[in-house]
Amino acid sequence: MKMQDTQRARDNNQDMLDTESGRQATESNGGADAEKKAAEDQLPWKEAVLPVLPLRGSVMFPMMMMPLAASRPASVAAIEAALASEDKTLIVATQLDPSVEEPEQQDLFEYATVSVIKKAERNNEGVSLIAQGVLRVRIEKLVRKDGYLQAHFAPAPVACEKTEEVEALRRNVVELATKIAEHLQGNAPAAVGQILTQVTDPLELAYLLASLMGLSVERDRELLAANSCEEVLRLLIDYLSYELKVRELQMEIASTAQSEMSREQREYMLRRQLEAIRRELGEDGSEQADLVELRRKFEEVELPENVAQEVEKELKRLERMSPNAADYQLTRTYIDLLLELPWNTVTPDNLDLEHARAVLDEDHFDLETVKDRIIEHLAVMKLNPEAKAPILCFVGPPGVGKTSLGKSIAKALGRKFERLALGGLHDEAELRGHRRTYIGAMPGRIIQAIRRCGTRNPVLMLDEIDKLGRDYRGDPAAALMEILDPEQNREFHDNYLDLPFDLSKVFFITTANSLDTIPAPLLDRMEVLTLSGYSSEEKEKIARRYLIPRQVAEAGLKPDQIDITDEALRYVIRGYTREAGVRNLERMIGRIVRKTAKRIVEGEPTPIRISPDDLPDILGPERFTPEKARQQLRPGVAAGLAWTPTGGDVLYVEAVDLGKGGKLTLTGHLGRVMKESARAALSYLISMAPQLGLEREHLENASVHIHVPAGAVPKDGPSAGVTMATALASLFAHAPARADTAMTGEITLSGLVLPVGGIKEKVLAAHRAGLKRVILPKGNEKDISELPEEVRQEMEFIFAERIEEVLAAAIPEMAQRKPPITLV
Amino acid sequence: MGDDWMIQPVGSGSGCWAPAADVYRTPQGWLVKFDLAGINPSELELERSGRHLVIRGVRRDVMVHAGLQTYSLEISYNRFERAVGLPCDIQSTSLSTEYRDGMLLVWLNDTSGRSGEE
Repeated sequence: MKMQDTQRARDNNQDMLDTESGRQATESNGGADAEKKAAEDQLPWKEAVLPVLPLRGSVMFPMMMMPLAASRPASVAAIEAALASEDKTLIVATQLDPSVEEPEQQDLFEYATVSVIKKAERNNEGVSLIAQGVLRVRIEKLVRKDGYLQAHFAPAPVACEKTEEVEALRRNVVELATKIAEHLQGNAPAAVGQILTQVTDPLELAYLLASLMGLSVERDRELLAANSCEEVLRLLIDYLSYELKVRELQMEIASTAQSEMSREQREYMLRRQLEAIRRELGEDGSEQADLVELRRKFEEVELPENVAQEVEKELKRLERMSPNAADYQLTRTYIDLLLELPWNTVTPDNLDLEHARAVLDEDHFDLETVKDRIIEHLAVMKLNPEAKAPILCFVGPPGVGKTSLGKSIAKALGRKFERLALGGLHDEAELRGHRRTYIGAMPGRIIQAIRRCGTRNPVLMLDEIDKLGRDYRGDPAAALMEILDPEQNREFHDNYLDLPFDLSKVFFITTANSLDTIPAPLLDRMEVLTLSGYSSEEKEKIARRYLIPRQVAEAGLKPDQIDITDEALRYVIRGYTREAGVRNLERMIGRIVRKTAKRIVEGEPTPIRISPDDLPDILGPERFTPEKARQQLRPGVAAGLAWTPTGGDVLYVEAVDLGKGGKLTLTGHLGRVMKESARAALSYLISMAPQLGLEREHLENASVHIHVPAGAVPKDGPSAGVTMATALASLFAHAPARADTAMTGEITLSGLVLPVGGIKEKVLAAHRAGLKRVILPKGNEKDISELPEEVRQEMEFIFAERIEEVLAAAIPEMAQRKPPITLV
Repeated sequence: MGDDWMIQPVGSGSGCWAPAADVYRTPQGWLVKFDLAGINPSELELERSGRHLVIRGVRRDVMVHAGLQTYSLEISYNRFERAVGLPCDIQSTSLSTEYRDGMLLVWLNDTSGRSGEE
């Protein structure tokens, strides 16, 4: 009740701050001035010497009330003395070292507080008091008299001016204290809040907070030693911020520990719930079952030791992992791959040569060199089962059956067959895979193909190896080198698999349309087998034997329901297709068969006979005018032979004399080599003009234009040299070349005819065009054996070593006019 | 004790004690009664300050002169100070005191004829 009254009086004082007298009242309440005055003028105690109560472990601040308990005889005596005074005052001083039993002057802190005993009570141990600090003093002299300490002292009130700085500091203290209070337990925060709003005197507030916060004695002493309110507040701010930091840290540690706990607990709870849901849905422990299944598989398959170790390791990892972990599926997929790869599985080879030959012949017409090579390999395998599988490269125009030949080989050997299209592949990782650390990582195509096969000795066909791309992501051709090298592929390293895999038993076959774009080191690793284009006769046989039966069966017809005559078939081959292979031919046959099927369904009587006259109705007008030989050649025109990726072709070289000027014009989309060979042909003719019966002067001055149709098709190569020379000679001699003769060959300035490539295709092209005589370089005589027998029979071959022989064979008039002169 | 005691509002600002007081309305103004036994009236000081009546003084324990030993102590000694707030200005009132039965009675009579605030 008393306290509340006091409080109200002080609150009212606050209200009155603006009036003069109100201010005075406040000042007299706690201001330093008033205290000073009280200390100097009207000391409430009359004694100049006061008894001293040494305090262990705490500090009495002015204005603070504090419970004290005294048990030491000297302390009790001091209290007795104070109680025996009129105004119950004594000095409360802090002991520097709490362990000293009978402190002397040097054991007490120099600053102490004069205090008034508010309540006193005796008990068994001594006296307990409630005392209130009144004034800070400095102890000047301490004497022990009558059994207790007595002090001579000087008042040392704390200066407290109400400056703005003090106010700022006070607010700072309040803020810090509020924050600290938030960390306190129970009703303490509210109580502190109340004090902070009620106590307005900064010094009182400081002392009060210091007592409340339970600072160390050292700090309390420092506060008491401070001489101004400002200093007290500054010290307190230091202490409070430290305290706040410590408490915040404490909170943080506590809350981290708690959140850690609650997270685990939450996960546990969710897992339990999930389990319950699963049970409800009847999916009891699917992950567990999954793992058991994997384990079972692992125990069933036979793996090499290093692989088994890896699988064991990954399986253990998986079993420890939560099924929801990001890695779970990755690891699972990886284990699946390891278990599925045919580490030891091989299919037994069928080494029966007769059987192999029969299978190959059944599926493919001719292609003798390739078939022989396969049979040879089978023979070697029979004798030496450890022989390295060959790496073959089939080169040839599209549609000649490279891919299907691969399938036949697999069939003949009794091996699995897998095909990989490499066309346009430009990322090394496609072949070798990505490391497992990447998202979406997969094994390379090679390993995937092996996995699909399920054996480690399949026939693996790498299609279109000449169309490999290459960019900043790496060069797949380089990766292929490792794969295709029998010395290295025993330990093929796939990035995803990360374990060596033996590819040495794989029968690799690559295919390409041309060898030009295959890097030399890669080409070097392969055995190149050329599949050249088919002649019309071969195509006819292929059509009869394979294409027509296949298309008839596909259309659902019976073989005896349709009869395609030989003439009709030949007309399809010549008039509707122009290709080295048979793809278009098969398509055309398919169209014929389907149209026939329609007629049969419409009720026409079978068998339906297809003759050449029916074809325009079925296939439309003739697509290609067969390369018929020109019946008559003008002077200046000669028939050459060219090789194209789709087979050979007949080219007519045309030359005209443009009169004087000595200029050579070349047109027809010719490459550099071809242009140079035209110049060489002209130079040779000029140099040899007299011997050839030509006027040298005329040749030197003449302007000549040479054109090679068709103008839109790029052409290059040296093999048109003889044709150019023949055309020019015919032009200048005004004598036409023989219309039934075609030629090919490179020329030199000294008049030699050098051998060229693609003889088979070229001769077949001439044969197709109906040209019966072909002039070839002597050096190509050996290539004639590659030609089909009937072509060889039908054609006349002239083998030339020198230009003069070519000219004599091609231009009859020149042969008559001047006998060829052979120069050394 | 400990924190519980610490967080009690402690002390008046200067370490004085404050006597209890009753305030009465009288026809002439106000009567303020202070519970102030054992005071030497010469050591009292009264001050009117706006709406406040302030009393200061010292209470001394005169028993000690008889050579008696204190066994227990509950009465506050030494300096006291108390400001009593009233609802109206008392600056211009007449002030008279009477010390009766250990109580200090202070009359504040309205000299302007007007009673205090209604």
